[in-house]
Amino acid sequence: MRRNWWHAYALAGLVSVIVATAAFVSYRNAAFERRELGRATHAATSVSKGLRPMDNVVAAYLVSPAVPSEHYEFLRERSVTEADGSHRRLGGKNAGPFDKRIYDAANQYDKSGPFVQLVTDTDYVIAAQPASGGVAVAITTPPKGPEAFPWLVVLGLLVMGSLVCAAGTLVGGSARPLGLALGASGLAVPTFLWSGLVIALFLVACSMLIAWADWRGSLERAGRELRKGGIAYAFLTPTAMAMLVLVGIPFVVGLGLGFYNNNHGEWTFVGLDNFIQILSGDGRSLSDPLNFWFTLGVTVAWTAVNVVLHVSIGVALALVLRQRWLKGRHGFRMLLILPWAIPNYITALIWKGMFQFEYGAINSVLSTVGLDKVNWFSEWSTSFASNVATNTWLGFPFMMVVALGALENIPSDMYEAAEVDGASPWQRFHHITIPHLMPAMLPALALGAIWTFNMFNVIYLVSDGRPGGGTDILVTEAYRWAFERGERYGLAAAYATIIFLILILWTIIGSRLAKKDAE
Amino acid sequence: MPRVLTLLFVFLLGCRADADPDSVLLWHAYSGAEQDALRESVARIEREQGIKVRLVSVPYEAFADKLTAAIPNGNGPDLFVFAHDRIGHWTANHLIEPLEYYVDDSIANRYAFEAISAMSYEGSLYGLPLAVKSVALFYRTDILKEPPSETNQLFAMNELYTHAWDGYPLVYENTNLYPHALWLHGFGGSLFDKDGQRTSLATPEAVAALTFARKLDRDKVVPGGVDARMVATLFNEGKAAMAISGPWFQNDINDDVPWAVATLPMVSDTGLAAKPFLGVEGILMSSRAKNKDRAFAVLDALTSDDDAVFRAIAAKQIVPNQAAYETSEISKNPALMAFRKQLDSTVPMSASPLMRSVWTPYQNALLKVIDQGDDVADALRSAESEMKSYAEGQQ
Repeated sequence: MRRNWWHAYALAGLVSVIVATAAFVSYRNAAFERRELGRATHAATSVSKGLRPMDNVVAAYLVSPAVPSEHYEFLRERSVTEADGSHRRLGGKNAGPFDKRIYDAANQYDKSGPFVQLVTDTDYVIAAQPASGGVAVAITTPPKGPEAFPWLVVLGLLVMGSLVCAAGTLVGGSARPLGLALGASGLAVPTFLWSGLVIALFLVACSMLIAWADWRGSLERAGRELRKGGIAYAFLTPTAMAMLVLVGIPFVVGLGLGFYNNNHGEWTFVGLDNFIQILSGDGRSLSDPLNFWFTLGVTVAWTAVNVVLHVSIGVALALVLRQRWLKGRHGFRMLLILPWAIPNYITALIWKGMFQFEYGAINSVLSTVGLDKVNWFSEWSTSFASNVATNTWLGFPFMMVVALGALENIPSDMYEAAEVDGASPWQRFHHITIPHLMPAMLPALALGAIWTFNMFNVIYLVSDGRPGGGTDILVTEAYRWAFERGERYGLAAAYATIIFLILILWTIIGSRLAKKDAE
Repeated sequence: MPRVLTLLFVFLLGCRADADPDSVLLWHAYSGAEQDALRESVARIEREQGIKVRLVSVPYEAFADKLTAAIPNGNGPDLFVFAHDRIGHWTANHLIEPLEYYVDDSIANRYAFEAISAMSYEGSLYGLPLAVKSVALFYRTDILKEPPSETNQLFAMNELYTHAWDGYPLVYENTNLYPHALWLHGFGGSLFDKDGQRTSLATPEAVAALTFARKLDRDKVVPGGVDARMVATLFNEGKAAMAISGPWFQNDINDDVPWAVATLPMVSDTGLAAKPFLGVEGILMSSRAKNKDRAFAVLDALTSDDDAVFRAIAAKQIVPNQAAYETSEISKNPALMAFRKQLDSTVPMSASPLMRSVWTPYQNALLKVIDQGDDVADALRSAESEMKSYAEGQQ
């Protein structure tokens, strides 16, 4: 049994009204702006001709040229001619409420000629026109609000549309979708007048799509589905909205920024230039730390070395902590988790202090035992090693905790059975422990790799890229382009996009491998 | 359902950050004594003028980024305290308001000419100065009777300590351009061409200055790899007889340390005075300030002569107000007068947007030469090309 025709029509009508309203509002604002800009310009021109300005003008003056101060080249005064022909200095103790705006407008005129514009945060419009003996400035407000929403037109078209739609349903067959599409498209006519052909065609296309969906019965199915899971969708909505605002929008904006170049706040579209500049290495040799491929190599090496160390140290410690003969193993476990519990930037700063050349703890120990002090951050290898040491300290507890959890779940009778069958400790480790650890360690490994790949704090705080940016990884490089090298936000966004793509690739490969392993 | 909606509404109301639209919002990066003094000044202005002022402390490292992000969206401060050297950059981004509508000669005359001029850029005035900052020479009077008058004396001072582990004659952040610039100027160099439009980093003077800085490090006159915190620690522990730092350093010195301030020594090789950068810290107005007349009233009162005298004593700031140095409280303070004297041989930091691209490459050159032992001229040349590549797409 088909549902009532007016359900589908209500949906199609709603979409049409939304599109038409958007079209109307944009048309209305543009028309309003044109009208008001014209009025302000007209008022300024009247003043320049010595005429009395018309109504709704809040201030209109003939402003004198700027008179520079005798002692300071960056100070200057201006005055205006009052209605009675007297002159008054702008500003000072007896300043009028619009003095500042008039003064600024005259300055802007001196810089870039006649102009008219809406004033941000207010409903004033300000215009400046040339005049003999200075510049004419007028500030106006709109006499009446913008055009009202044409309720009658919209309502009338909706009612007419519903008749067409109902008629189509009565005839039946393929006349039903035709009537629905035609009826809901009525609003395309005023939309065409307001915003042109493209938006009107979009509205028609929406109506046709809904009519087609109704004809195929998809609308009905979707309605049933929604009613069935109604409460679940209602609960999901707030989270979905939050995700959209906090993650979705910044993500899309970030992707978009990569195609622009920022020049002192002015954005210009540069297409793929940023990506080309990054991926081509920008004409630098492969051994130059500013070359993308060098940084990528460092990042990959950094991730690999760290993850290997984290996993091997974490698993080794977990194996030791599992032994029942170990006294106070709960205490040790607590202690070993501590590095993870301390905020990582504090740990990073402590390690940075320990690597300090003159008075750092490590060099102090070295010189006490009679060795030379090492200038840790002056060579790539030692600087990289300092970062790795810090991050290993930060990273192994997580792997240890995961491994401990997995080890707890291995049934002890398997070991007993293996022992009875004469398996050596190595065979037991290889055939029982490792296969049981794998399912827990693989996701942890994938996650650990992503964390390490983007471990901004350690790199930035410990080596800070020294020597000469050589130990920078991709995220710190992106940061430097944005905030330390002339605010090249576009380039930094392109870097971020590339990092994202690499991590997506890694995730896909990782999950494939895990799947294969599970088979 | 109505209850949920009410809760949501209350929550949204609570989210409105700026509860009082009539107050003037002032951002600053001050801490310690300077912050206390600012608080007190603001309390006095609120009492006297009946204007509410909200002080927000923003960490220095994040200050500029937060401003650039917040002001265009209308969420920024009405006024903020910052050094003059970013004015060129901010005018290009239309972040700050020109003040010549408010300021006439009688206000401008309050300050030393260099100080108010530093707050101007391309024919407009963008702020009023609060404090001038340059480094000078701090020395411990228990270790050193007389500060050196020229740089050659520094190398003879190693005998102050029996071996290098005990301490160094001098400490300063030798891989930071800000203090290093005093040698650059002392060797007759400059970061910019004569017309101030383009940078030139790899000049013979710059090479001489950097070679000299390396010699200080190699001859163990200064320790390597120190940051600002360590400068204070070494000086306080007596492991450095002298420190090069600014007025803010006075607050970092422990009470039991006998110290004095002197002007920086002459560079023996050139006979020129070592001239540090002059930074002028001022109050600037956002181009999106809510009520500009009211914001300026606060700005004016905070930079007045009375307030300057108060700040000079309470926060040990070197104030630019000329009248302040005629009061007996300040003219009797030797440290303030020494900094005042150092002011006469300083080089104002450039306010050009180019200046911003100089710091990181120059820092890298300093690190390369002093830490890694690279060739001086090579390091400066690569800093020059590094800077050019940063500025690409910015021109």
